[in-house]
Amino acid sequence: MNNHVRKLRTEQGWSQATLADRLDVSRQTVNAIETGKYDPSLPLAFGIARLFGLSIEAIFVPGKE
Amino acid sequence: MRKVHRRYLREFLPASVAYAVLIIAYGFLARGLESVLWRCLRVVLPLVPVILMIRVMVRVIRDQDELERRIDLEAIAIASMVTGFGFFTFGMLLGASNWQAAKADAVAIWVLPYLFLSFGLAKIWVSRRYPTG
Repeated sequence: MNNHVRKLRTEQGWSQATLADRLDVSRQTVNAIETGKYDPSLPLAFGIARLFGLSIEAIFVPGKE
Repeated sequence: MRKVHRRYLREFLPASVAYAVLIIAYGFLARGLESVLWRCLRVVLPLVPVILMIRVMVRVIRDQDELERRIDLEAIAIASMVTGFGFFTFGMLLGASNWQAAKADAVAIWVLPYLFLSFGLAKIWVSRRYPTG
């Protein structure tokens, strides 16, 4: 699954640590999501979408399965 | 360090120190006690801090984030299998040979440190998949 989390975060001027604090996760988790190494659970994906004021579909894009 | 991990250290360290003290006391008191009841009590007493350690570990796994939980659970799976089968194989080797390596309680005392060490190494190995950037 691809996502636009890094782009959205940098647009806000936030560091990975800031985003991690706002989502109450570790910086390792934010980095793993941004680099596509880890797909977040539905509750965390909703949390990310809520934080950026977008829908889940606007942030997460299904990749080739 | 995240709040959940600070709490883990704050709760786990006293419990593990208590366990170590009781294990050391086991060695010192071993010679002085003749009664079977006291000897059994001395052996069972370290289980009290172990129960506390289990509670602390379950709490940290429950409260950390989902990727941290995945890493820890994979590391626990690897460490428990390595430790279990490692000591099982060691015991079978002792039985199959005439090698008198150590007394049973001296071997048993190394199970927990070996489990923690293998957990730490497994966690480093699993975490390599998710670098911090």
